[in-house]
Amino acid sequence: MMISQFFVLSQRGDNIVFRDYRAEVPKGSTETFFRKVKFWKEDGNAEAPPIFNVDGVNYFHVKVVGLYFVATTRVNVSPSLVLELLQRIARVIKDYLGVLNEDSFRKNFVLVYELLDEVVDFGYVQTTSTEVLKSYVFNEPIVVAPTRLQPIDPAAIFTQGAKRMPGTAVTKSVVANEPGGRRREEIFVDIIEKISVTFSSSGYILTSEIDGTIQMKSYLSGNPEIRLALNEDLNIGRGGRSVYDYRSSSGSGVILDDCNFHESVRLDSFDSDRTLSLVPPDGEFPVMNYRMTQEFKPPFHVNTLIEEAGRLKAEVIIKIRAEFPSDIIANTVTIQMPLPNYTSRASFELEAGAAGQKTDFKESTKMLEWNLKKIVGGAEHTLRAKLTFSQEFHGNITKEAGPVSMTFTIPMYNVSKLQVKYLQIAKKSSSYNPYRWVRYVTQANSYVARI
Amino acid sequence: MSGHDSKYFSTTKKGEIPELKEELNSQYKDKRKDAVKKVIAAMTVGKDVSSLFTDVVNCMQTENLELKKLVYLYLINYAKSQPDLAILAVNTFVKDSQDPNPLIRALAVRTMGCIRVDKITEYLCDPLQKCLKDDDPYVRKTAAVCVAKLFDINAELVEDRGFLEALKDLISDNNPMVVANAVAALAEIQENSTSPVFEINSTTLTKLLTALNECTEWGQVFILDALSKYKATDPREAENIVERVTPRLQHANCAVVLSAVKMILQQMELITSTDVIRNLCKKMAPPLVTLLSAEPEIQYVALRNINLIVQKRPTILAHEIKVFFCKYNDPIYVKMEKLEIMIKLASDRNIDQVLLEFKEYATEVDVDFVRKAVRAIGRCAIKLERAAERCISVLLELIKIKVNYVVQEAIIVIKDIFRRYPNTYESIIATLCESLDTLDEPEAKASMIWIIGEYAERIDNADELLESFLENFPEEPAQVQLQLLTATVKLFLKKPTERPQLMIQVVLQNATVETDNPDLRDRAFIYWRLLSTDPEAAKDVVLAEKPVITDDSNQLEPSLLDELLANISTLSSVYHKPPEAFVTRLKTSVQKTEDDDYVEGSEISVNPNDGATSPQATSSYVPQQAPAAAAPAPVPDLLGDLMGDSAAIVPVDEPVTPSGRPLPVVLPASSGQGLQISAQLTRQDGQVFYSMLLENNSQSVLDGFMIQFNKNSFGLAAVGPLQVPPLQPGSSARTMLPMVLLQNMSTGPTSSLLQVAVKNNQQPVWYFTDKIVLHALFSEDGRMERGTFLETWRSLPDSNEVQKEFTGITITSVESTLDLLAASNMFFIAKRKNGNQDVLYLSAKVPRDVPFLIELTAMVGQPGLKCAVKTPTPEIAPLFFEAVEILFMP
Repeated sequence: MMISQFFVLSQRGDNIVFRDYRAEVPKGSTETFFRKVKFWKEDGNAEAPPIFNVDGVNYFHVKVVGLYFVATTRVNVSPSLVLELLQRIARVIKDYLGVLNEDSFRKNFVLVYELLDEVVDFGYVQTTSTEVLKSYVFNEPIVVAPTRLQPIDPAAIFTQGAKRMPGTAVTKSVVANEPGGRRREEIFVDIIEKISVTFSSSGYILTSEIDGTIQMKSYLSGNPEIRLALNEDLNIGRGGRSVYDYRSSSGSGVILDDCNFHESVRLDSFDSDRTLSLVPPDGEFPVMNYRMTQEFKPPFHVNTLIEEAGRLKAEVIIKIRAEFPSDIIANTVTIQMPLPNYTSRASFELEAGAAGQKTDFKESTKMLEWNLKKIVGGAEHTLRAKLTFSQEFHGNITKEAGPVSMTFTIPMYNVSKLQVKYLQIAKKSSSYNPYRWVRYVTQANSYVARI
Repeated sequence: MSGHDSKYFSTTKKGEIPELKEELNSQYKDKRKDAVKKVIAAMTVGKDVSSLFTDVVNCMQTENLELKKLVYLYLINYAKSQPDLAILAVNTFVKDSQDPNPLIRALAVRTMGCIRVDKITEYLCDPLQKCLKDDDPYVRKTAAVCVAKLFDINAELVEDRGFLEALKDLISDNNPMVVANAVAALAEIQENSTSPVFEINSTTLTKLLTALNECTEWGQVFILDALSKYKATDPREAENIVERVTPRLQHANCAVVLSAVKMILQQMELITSTDVIRNLCKKMAPPLVTLLSAEPEIQYVALRNINLIVQKRPTILAHEIKVFFCKYNDPIYVKMEKLEIMIKLASDRNIDQVLLEFKEYATEVDVDFVRKAVRAIGRCAIKLERAAERCISVLLELIKIKVNYVVQEAIIVIKDIFRRYPNTYESIIATLCESLDTLDEPEAKASMIWIIGEYAERIDNADELLESFLENFPEEPAQVQLQLLTATVKLFLKKPTERPQLMIQVVLQNATVETDNPDLRDRAFIYWRLLSTDPEAAKDVVLAEKPVITDDSNQLEPSLLDELLANISTLSSVYHKPPEAFVTRLKTSVQKTEDDDYVEGSEISVNPNDGATSPQATSSYVPQQAPAAAAPAPVPDLLGDLMGDSAAIVPVDEPVTPSGRPLPVVLPASSGQGLQISAQLTRQDGQVFYSMLLENNSQSVLDGFMIQFNKNSFGLAAVGPLQVPPLQPGSSARTMLPMVLLQNMSTGPTSSLLQVAVKNNQQPVWYFTDKIVLHALFSEDGRMERGTFLETWRSLPDSNEVQKEFTGITITSVESTLDLLAASNMFFIAKRKNGNQDVLYLSAKVPRDVPFLIELTAMVGQPGLKCAVKTPTPEIAPLFFEAVEILFMP
């Protein structure tokens, strides 16, 4: 159950952090790892799996904001433990440093080593709780300005467009004091839903799924108890229902297929009134993860047409319609569509007066790309593309193009109808009234329309 | 603190080391701290700062924890290279281990344990002893891990100083963190120790289950893993354990969930109540599916584990196939694993949905993924007979898109489908032939050529098609050459017209004279000789009916699968290899003897398409590694060539005459120029024999008998020489030839075919085929506990059950039937009445320890016997039915 080494490498393979806990892996493991990952070509796969073995050493890695977090071991450990640990180390370090990047690592390397020594001893995980670590770690973080926020950072989704939110708050360190000396009393509860939808070529929904997380980040002093109330009509588990009350599932109730909770959550009254109570530890953590396959209204409707238009020509029309209220705005929308590989040219035609839209044809990957800075609820947008082929196509052109995939972020909107009805903080005094931020966001995970 | 740590990485123009030395000895605390930071920074980028050892150690005596930690970090790194200087630090360590501040006490013990220098280790024992009994849990939990560190350096010391007992006491500690570390340390020590150190009994079990509820998530994993080695004493205890563990399935930490799953699966083996098992399966499904919502790295681990779980318990996720559909943004390693599981879960009920997905994947961009999707369609066709036609029509649709690699992949799988369903789908051959010119991959070419040869009589221009390939014969890869050779021979035998005759001459010429490849040359020589000696015999050999292949998607051997399931949520379950195959840091004393078997098994799983489905297997009469023959040899030596290893041919001299019941005739006198052979496999005292009767009806004395068995499904081979005396005309001899199993295994599907060659000094070699009677292979240890029987029956999917009715068999009494079956190692489990029918349950075991479960239904005195069998390898069921017919033969 133990790891041998932990290290962090940059995208170029530079050593950023390296800690050997057991001195049983030969020197050069970082180079071995990097070479293997960079030039992976086994079983016909072009991408290295997260776990592999080279000369008796097992390498585990996850990629976080473009950095490789790696652990090695020589024994038959639990792989999910090691991968989860790597994710948690990244989270703890982010809690401390506010921002996770090469620069913040280098500026805080002493703190990072101090953390690593408390998190893992002789290869055994001790704790990954920022709260617990605070008692043992003495270095103070040097906060790096989040100038180059990586788009992969989940915090980044709130920093664009939505003015109601303090964008920097989520990237501030949990332990560092603010310049004024005092910390602002505030707590963030984010309901993040990643949705996957597959539309058939005729527009039917083949599969749909929501992976949701209620994420919390507390900056409250004194660790007060918190009560979080969810929808009262929340149900868990599809299995128990008979086929006859199937109709009621499309009614008002929210039915989760499955959910799990952070260890700090107490579920004493969850069964009766759907409230969770917890004393939030410091740092960012998921209060609850849930999964849903109950039907929901997909936020975008995609309509694609591809038609031959002459011997070496074809036309593509992509129409998207935003199926959410007009006070909601989706941002950073990208639509991609692979074109037949004998496509040599594509010329685009946007609708009249289109603003904040970009189109591109990536010659090397034969990929059509359409970016929209934002889409207002209810709006409809159309793209026309004229394709030129280098050879005559054979058979069915729809089989050689597509599917159309979409990525987007919709702040202040969630498709599951799961809600945090209220967020109660045990009061220390009558004047104690910390800031509470309850925020919703919907993101595309795999949003695909077949053609 | 001011400034940034990164400034410590910058170098000055002056010599760096002397400057640091100066700063380390500064009178100002802050300056010293900064200097140590610079040293550590230099250390992390790989610079050698060991020359500053004394100066850094001098900074160790400080109240400042931050500085102390830095110095300790440095010490751990360099103590090994400077053992003498490290001693300088000992005094401070010992002092620190008695500091009033628990953090400093813990830090001292933790660091000392990391310094692997003997002299330091001696001084570690006393402080460690105290710290194991410290008032502060943080110190105790650090000390617990330190025992494992010490064991790694000096195991004797740990035992001599009684640290193991102290560690065991910590299992009862009131702090769950301490308990978790004690469990982890004990588990590691046990792993590296030959004597029993840490065995879980019912008392520790209770303690640990209680600690489980209060532990941190990581501690829960340590404890669950330690507990998974515990074997419950009875079903009730198993149910109790499971009940305590089930709430862990709701944990947000994937490692906790998977460890809980492992524990539950383990205990389920003992639980007998079907309701409880059904319930547990229902409870495990949602958390398993939820693992697929985690990061892709975790998904990968989950999928590799699920792959194993569904092989054992397919019902768990039978209705969840949709969650394994690939998302467009899944990394390729996740997609590939999902495809595997989709094939495993594909059933008649969901196949339409699954095919729709596969069809979509087959038009995606990633070539490797597309190929795998096309193969998946073929595997479903082979697995699901009723869906085969739909699978084929999807493949044809894909071929029509004319994407080169799709077409080639489709042809490869269609060849397998033809093997699985002979004479059913040949109408599509015309469509396949349209793509002939575009084939450029050896496997696809070889498959197409095999198809043309196999169905030459139905393809009007088969000769033309093959001829087009022949032009480049010398340049083709070996795989294609071999197929071309065989296909041309088939064509010639089917259509012995002028053109094929010319072609065969060209091919044989090319394959015998112009090639350096011994396999090709040998095969060509054999064909040549066969054709020139006896074209009719050649027909019998080359065009013989081929055994039907089966689906290979349930590839793992049951014993390997069981071992891997016991290792769920370990690396073993990700690699699908037993731990011994990759763990290099394992104690040598417990090396298992069956290592090799397992490794072999895991390799099979890596190459699921080898063997059974390769076109070479079709000409199974030809040995793959025959010794090179330079020129056609005189006939008697053909035996050696034909059956492979000629050294294994044994002379026959000593006479033996046991008696037995009439044996079936395998070589009638009319075909053997007067020599008649009757034979059958039998079993006596746990040993398999080939019982033979040789009768000489010819006019001359026959002597010098030798026997050879071709590769067969059970690897049957003779242990010793065939012992038959010279046979006078009109005389006969009986012999019992001892046999071994698993010696010369044939690849390819299981079949009862046993090919035998017998020669003597007077006659040509006689080849005959016999049937392997399965009941001769049932081993003596096939008796099962009732519970195990039920459990095994339930755990096998319905698709593993095969039934057959024998209308001609009448059971006269249950007792005599059971006696009859027991004599062949089929063991009685239970009996029940169903109306006026008796239902009997029996167990048996076939080689490689595969369980074989039998249900017989019959009405005593009335004709009719219904026979149902369930086994992990259902392809041997037909062999069993043959055995039943032989056994109950009046």
